[in-house]
Amino acid sequence: MTPIAERIPETFDFGGTWEEKSGSWWLVPEAAGPRDVARAMLAHGARFITITATELADGGGVRMDYHWDLDGTVLTFTFTIRDKTAESVYTAESIYDLSEAANWIEREIHEYFVVEFTGRECEPLFLRAGQTPGVNLREEDE
Amino acid sequence: MKYNVPMGPYHPALEEPYRLDLVCERETVKDAHLRIGFNFRGIERLAESRNYIQVIALMERVCGICSNIHTLSICQAAERLTGIEPPPRANYIRVVMAELERLHSHVLWAGIAGKVMGFKTMFMTCFALREKIMDILEAISGNRVNYAMNRVGGVNRDIEDPAAILRMVEEIEREMTRVVIPVFTTNRSALSRCEGVGVLTHERAVACGVVGPTARASGVGQDLRRDAPYAAYAEMDFNVPVESGGDVKARLVVRALEIVESCRILRQALAKLPSGPIHPEDEDVEFPSGSAVSRVEAPRGEVLYCISWEEDNENPTRVHVRTPTYANMPAIRWMVTGARLADTPLIQASIDPCYSCTDR
Repeated sequence: MTPIAERIPETFDFGGTWEEKSGSWWLVPEAAGPRDVARAMLAHGARFITITATELADGGGVRMDYHWDLDGTVLTFTFTIRDKTAESVYTAESIYDLSEAANWIEREIHEYFVVEFTGRECEPLFLRAGQTPGVNLREEDE
Repeated sequence: MKYNVPMGPYHPALEEPYRLDLVCERETVKDAHLRIGFNFRGIERLAESRNYIQVIALMERVCGICSNIHTLSICQAAERLTGIEPPPRANYIRVVMAELERLHSHVLWAGIAGKVMGFKTMFMTCFALREKIMDILEAISGNRVNYAMNRVGGVNRDIEDPAAILRMVEEIEREMTRVVIPVFTTNRSALSRCEGVGVLTHERAVACGVVGPTARASGVGQDLRRDAPYAAYAEMDFNVPVESGGDVKARLVVRALEIVESCRILRQALAKLPSGPIHPEDEDVEFPSGSAVSRVEAPRGEVLYCISWEEDNENPTRVHVRTPTYANMPAIRWMVTGARLADTPLIQASIDPCYSCTDR
């Protein structure tokens, strides 16, 4: 392990408690958003890997796990989004302008889970069946 | 005057569908826009309705080239979640399978690259050689495409005669170093199609987050086998080839050198194969609530699996796959911008794209 990977909790203090388990360091940041985390990650030379979006049961929102690679160590930052701009449309901060590597996965999450990423266009849609966002992975509304 | 050239979804050079809209001025590409999704099968969604044994079989079908890597990744994720440790012999067999898969993927790519260059003799040579690698995979697993080797906690089949497999690997290594690698690294016709073509700068490679040989050909020296070792890679001695050119030639050279390194790893893994079981005796797998992440260095680069489970549930609540081509494909836009229109099929082929993986 590299020196930075040994000091992850001290180096990246976003509030919340770091936990190392199951192939990653995990944190639910209490005092930072995805953009704050992205800026800090990029400042330390981390590489953006992907975002895992998971629809929570009973309309509880969408859980977004942001995975970053720091010198061979996976860091995962979990955010739960519940804000809606319109009926059944969730909103999240885009990090595309900070990390070009996030472009496709944000578009995919937009198409799969009807999440709007603020500050960017997600059209044209490119990975879905039919013409309606959300038909692939999101549970059908009652 | 600018004009648009739509390339695909029926691609002139590659076997899988995607679309590249090229904006050209005279013979030069000025910009490009990619569209994928023609192979979308909803595999991640399907996984949520399968139990853990069925999920392994399902994820093996994400890709027809690196099928083993997908089962390895999801089994590793499941092992991290359940705390099951594969026995040492299973870890070595996983390395053997992963490197054989890398060899056959790289040789397949070399053949396709030969075909795209108009070098059809090389295509035939590479595919004949690939057959021999697939023979080894078949000798070990009984299968030629979906090997069904990995299970949670180990592997399904043993390598009963490592010496025989070693002899087959040595024969392949001889042919690789005698024929394939010299052609791609020294032949004037091959190099003239590749040198200075489709450059992805180091800075752009970092910004795009590209992975695998595409990253290593742009001077980004990342390789999970060394940086975050899994299976038995920590016990293997090998080099990670890195080139700084960022062009098609660099991507070609990196893969050629990786073929040599794969043979080196195979020799070590087969020679040191430890004795013992290949999976735990206890067949029970019980998933606690939680999430796990697993990464593997596939032939095209990093694969990431993130799985989530609820205790007492038969099926996962989420299986997310980030494949290497998904990370590499957006960079094609930067590789083809400024290139000659005629070079674009080779530039696209140079990342060894897999649209089946990308679309899932």
